[in-house]
This record gives sequence, structure tokens and C-alpha cells, in this order.
Amino acid sequence: MLAAALERIVGVSHVLTRPPALLVYRSDGLPGHRALPSLAVFPGTRDEVIRVMRVLAETGTPFVARGAGTGLSGGALADGVVLLGLHRLKGILALDLDARTATVEPGVVNATLSRAVAPHGLHYAPDPSSQSACTIGGNIAENAGGPHCLKYGVTLDHVVRATVVLPDGEVMTLDRGEGTGYDLLGAFVGSEGCFGVVLDVTVRLTPIPEAVITLLADFTAVRAAADATSRIIAAGILPAALELMDQATIEAVESSVYAAGYPRDAAAVLLAEVDGAVAGLEEDAVAIERLCREAGARAVRVARDATERARLWQGRKKAFGAMGRVAPHLVVQDAVVPRTRLADLLEEIQAIGARHQIRVCNVFHAGDGNLHPNIPYDAEDPEASARVAQAMSEIMHRCIAVGGTITGEHGVGLDKLDYMPSLFSGETLDAMCTLRDVFDPARRANPGKVVPVRSCREWLVAPAARPTAPTPARLEARP
Amino acid sequence: MMATAETPRPAPHHAPASAEALAALVRTAGHEGRRLRIHGAGGWLDAGHPVDATDVVTTMAMTGITAYTPADLTLSCGAGTTLAELDAATRAQGQWCPLLPWGDDAGTVGATAATATAGPFATRLGQPSALVLGLECVDGTGRVIQAGGRVVKNVAGFDLTRLMIGAWGTVGIITQLHLRLRARPPVDRTFVLSAAAAATAEVTTFARGPSAPLALLAMDRDATWPSTLGVRPTPMDPSMRRWLVRVGGDAPFVSAAVDALARLGRLEEMDGATAWPLVRRHAAPRATPHQWRWDPLSLRLRDRFDPQRVLNPGLLGTV
Repeated sequence: MLAAALERIVGVSHVLTRPPALLVYRSDGLPGHRALPSLAVFPGTRDEVIRVMRVLAETGTPFVARGAGTGLSGGALADGVVLLGLHRLKGILALDLDARTATVEPGVVNATLSRAVAPHGLHYAPDPSSQSACTIGGNIAENAGGPHCLKYGVTLDHVVRATVVLPDGEVMTLDRGEGTGYDLLGAFVGSEGCFGVVLDVTVRLTPIPEAVITLLADFTAVRAAADATSRIIAAGILPAALELMDQATIEAVESSVYAAGYPRDAAAVLLAEVDGAVAGLEEDAVAIERLCREAGARAVRVARDATERARLWQGRKKAFGAMGRVAPHLVVQDAVVPRTRLADLLEEIQAIGARHQIRVCNVFHAGDGNLHPNIPYDAEDPEASARVAQAMSEIMHRCIAVGGTITGEHGVGLDKLDYMPSLFSGETLDAMCTLRDVFDPARRANPGKVVPVRSCREWLVAPAARPTAPTPARLEARP
Repeated sequence: MMATAETPRPAPHHAPASAEALAALVRTAGHEGRRLRIHGAGGWLDAGHPVDATDVVTTMAMTGITAYTPADLTLSCGAGTTLAELDAATRAQGQWCPLLPWGDDAGTVGATAATATAGPFATRLGQPSALVLGLECVDGTGRVIQAGGRVVKNVAGFDLTRLMIGAWGTVGIITQLHLRLRARPPVDRTFVLSAAAAATAEVTTFARGPSAPLALLAMDRDATWPSTLGVRPTPMDPSMRRWLVRVGGDAPFVSAAVDALARLGRLEEMDGATAWPLVRRHAAPRATPHQWRWDPLSLRLRDRFDPQRVLNPGLLGTV
């Protein structure tokens, strides 16, 4: 019934209903969460998206929007509800070189946009590690970050305007308010697909820096690398990026096809980059080198050319992939702590890992205090999975205890739902539900994500807007 | 007719010292049908519409810096903390919170955020929204909300912080803020640049380029403000233009930028510490009365967070 209505809009070949075909959409970038949509629909034009959304609204159907599915929070999983894939909308609609903005459709891949505007000396600054695959629409939903967000800011800092279709089918243009309205775009960006679907978005483009210097500092102790980070930040230097990788990560990267030439015997490396005007840049690099050495760096190497810089960065950006060599699955965690607490936290993380006999690989945005403790494991082994889950929970609660947060850029999705009540009061979670109701009173968009259901007072009164869904367990039991 | 003859009774004033006390006040107001006019130091009272209030609430009793770790470049303070206090505390550490809005430093951090008042440096150093990491507020139903956090990167939950910034206290009353700080530039110089009008495009290009200054303001747009700086009035020569320009960064950067500016026109160095507070006070772009967009989404927002219209009723129009 619904499938037929959707097929009339997008064509038969762009609606999937059979479970084997839907298996592709069973997980996102985190293998620990799996759920099968009831149906997947892939509109190819803006008009088709609007018409699909209106059919979903008329039939009261819950849905989950999805870009490239590279998310790391389980946020793009549709558990027995409709999956709305937006990757076919790949148009770069307008380029305003004077205003330095681009208007793009949600399915445009992050790196594709940067490549398209590079001939004009511009790039799109937010650079999540998945940038060669992830979409701008997904970036908006997650308020995505990336290594260079230390200097350039996260997705929200680069979004000017968005035309969205709300869950009830209404089309609206949102902006930052600018003195004549509420910052509805600020609320929308990072709402993890719970507030509506982007039809087009105007993003700010950033000039490609005049000059770049990339350094690799090599430490014999993780504490020293974390200490160097704190010193650089405290000194008032604002690097374009400041990334820390520990021994376990270095080992995984150097054993893989992404080998970057990191010193295999180092306890940690710091990948630091400064960019901007030529004048003064060398001084910043020299200062970073001095601060690293003062913190105990064994050696500091400067990338000689663009090729060496690209190689150093490839190791960092492909580190998650490289961990595929270590174990079949990977928990990618995402938490933020005050930058002065990094060294202590890293030691505690190692201790927690040792206690649960798991290997924690740290690769993260040190300059922001944005930790990514990753654990390679085998998701099919229930005993190992339980130990991993327990260790992660302990790590997250330590991050909360020192004044941090449970996600810096990956979002809450499904994965971090349980930590929300530890971080926010009941009244605050309730206010988040109120905000969700402003955009989606029927709560049909990405149901069950971001804010735990029990936090929504009204949810307990109103019937859940979610049909009975086949459980993932039952689906997995199929031959 | 009778009513006009009466002496109007002054509206009761409240200065709650905590979010909890404010929440109790808001809940009571909701029950009793009272309506609150909310302000900080009282510098931004006029948004172009009269407020229909029975009571006045100031955030000035929620003041002071409550947490400051200079090495983290983050600071927490009460909404009633003045910009002057914030500046003094951070200056002592070689840092600043570059809100530096148009107006007076007697204004409060809370009001700056609530009105999203930017200043001449916002383009380079960040709009108010980008400098607030999190905040505590009380909404129109009396809920105490802890939005965002204290760390520099955070996407946990829906963004209630951005919602409160620039909402003029009609969604919630900000009581506490967690701010992002930056290191003050080690070298910080201010000049009047006089250049041929024909060079305007080059000046603009410079301001958007890799050596971009902290601020570059055309001094000709309002004839009164050069005199507030004690500089000679704008020359009548229509072929000339003047800009006030502030260049900040490390020594080599500033030196290169100043050289580039000198190639565009004549530079006259000013005392920035004196000039910029004067500029912020006297050269603010003229405020226009709000034509607030009350689209269905914005109306629903107001309805859900302040159903009784306790917070600043009328300030943004009749809603």
C-alpha cells in the first residue's frame, strides 16, 4: 500500500521492500547496532523528496533519513520503519564566489564539494574522516566535525541557510535568525534527523590557506604527548589541527596499506598542522616544535612537501579502517574532556582497558579534547562484546565526571542514548523533547534516537508513533 | 477614564540570585497571570516594540565568574556578569572572550547572548553564538535547563544553547554561561587608513584575504563617528575614503599586514585601547525595530517554551 504509493513517486526501482535487499541498510559505521528498515525509498529530486515526505505524513509513517550511512552512532538505523535515502540528490546548485558560498543538495559528498570549488581557491572546511564518502546532508544532521575544526569550527559554523521539509511535509527556509528570528538553523543542525530533511543547504566556503606546515612529534609516553597538547593550547597557538595517535593506533596504521611512516616504537605521536598567511606561520611551527620538545618529544619532523603531508594525514584519516586488520569489528567512541584533563583521562582509559582485557586504540582531536577511544573486537563473541560495553561505559562516565561530554561530533543516535540521563537533568531532557515537538509534534522523524523515550513526559501519555516492528534479533535468526 | 487619573504604580522589581529562585518566580507568574520584563544592566531595553509586563526581573544578582581554567580557554559566569568584569578577568591571563559587542562594557554577558549582539570583531573572532559553549536558563514553564556543556566541542542532544541565543529572552531567561576564550593577539595595532576611493575594492579584498585584520570599518558611513575618536573629520575630498583597521597576531603576521596596508594608503596609528571602546559605544549600526518572523515554527517554539507568555510579552511583536 505504502510501497505502491512511494513507487508511483520515485519509480519501482527506487523502493526496496525485500529483506535481502534491505540488508545493506542494516547498520551504519558502527557494527554494534543492527536494525532492518521495513522499506527503503530513494527519491531522486527535490520534488520527489517533498512528495515522499507528504505521503509519509498523510499515512502517519515514521521514517529515518540517511545519507551515506557513515555515521558512528547508530543514528541512521531504521528499526522496522521507513528508511529515506537521500544520496541521489547530488546537485551542486549554485556557487557564489563573491559571497564564498555554495548551495548544494543533501547527497553531495563532502570531499566532492571541496574538489568542485578548489579551482576557485576555496574548500569546504569541515573534514570528517569519512569525508570521501559522507554527505553534506548527513554532516548537517550530525553537526559533523573533523581534524581541522579546531581552527575552522564545526559544521554549524559553516552553514548559512537551509531549505528543509519538516516531518509534516511543510517546506521551510531556516537561517541563523540574524536579529529578525529565532536561530532555527542552529537548532536544526545537529538534530540527528529528528527535525526534518534537508532539501538544499547553503554552506560557507573557506579560502585554501596560503601556506601549510605539518609536523609530526614523536613521544615515548602518552602523557607527554597529551601534555604537549595542553601546552600548545595554553600558549594561545591555534593550530589548524592537532591530532594524537597512541601506540596501538600507530601499530594498526603502520601494518596496513595506509602506512604513513609513523615511528612504530613511539608511545604516541602528535600530528600538528598550522596554516594561514605565510607571515608568522614558520614562527608558529617553531613554537609548536619547542613546546613538544619541552614536553618530552623524542623527535619532531616537518613534512617536506605536499606528498609527505598527504601521507601523514592518510594514516590519521584511515586509522579506523586500518583497525580492521586487528579485529572484525570496531567500537568507535567519541567524548570530550577539558584539554587540561587529557593526560589523566588517557591513563585512566588505559587502566580501564587493562582491567577488562581489551585493547584501546586512541586516535583523536587532541586540540579540542575530543577523545576517540576505539576498541577492536569481535561483535559475534557475546562475552567479548559485554566486556567492551562495560569498559566503554566506564570510560564515558569518567569523561562526564571530569566535566566533559559524551559526544563531540558523532552524535547520540542509539549508541549514547543511555548516557544522556547521566549528562543532563530530567528537566533538560524534557526541554529537548519540547524542542523536538516544535519541529515534529508527531515524533515520526528518527523515532527513538537522541533523547531517551522515558525522558519525554508527554511520550508516556501519548501513544508511541511507531508501529510494531520486527525485532533485529528475529531478522538475524533467519538463515 | 478613571484609570488615567491614577498614579501608575511602579512595577515590582525582582533580582533573583539563582536559577532556582528565578524558576520559582516564573512558575508563580505563570499561575498568577503576571508577565515579566527581563533585563540585565538595562542597556538593550528597546527592541522596537513595547513590552506588556507587570513585573521587572533583572539578572544582575546572578553575577560573577564561577569557573575559569585559563589553560582550557573556557570560563563560566553568571548572566549578570558585566562585560567589563569578563574583560578584566581574562585580560589578566592574556586572554579574552571576543564578544566585544556594540555598546557599553557595563552591559552584561547574559544580555549580549540573549540579544546576540555582535560587534566590530565578530566576523573574524566569532559571533556570540559561536562563543557560547553552553548555558543555564529558565524557560517560560519554569524549567531549569542546562544546555550544551563546558567543553569546546559538544553535540550531545538537541541544541538548546543556540535556541536561547538571540531569542531576546522569549524562550528562556539565561542565568549562567559557559564561554569559549581565545588568546589575545600578542601584537595588536589600530590605524586609520586613508586611501583613494578607487582603492576600495583592494581594501575589501585585503580584509577578506589571508592577512585579514580583526576589524576594518569604513569611517565614512556615519559622519558623526570620526569625531568620537578625536580624529579630524572625514575629508571632503570625495576621492578619498577612510577606514579604522585593527590588526592582531604575532609580530611577523602584523608586520606583514601593516606593510600590505601601507601599500593601499596612508596609515595613522591610533591608541586602540581608547579608540575601540568609543567606537563600540558610539558607532553602532543604527538599530532597526524588529520585524520578527513569526512563521508557524517560531510560533510553535514560543507556544511550547512559554505557553503563558510570561517572558517579555510583546517585545518581539504581539506574540
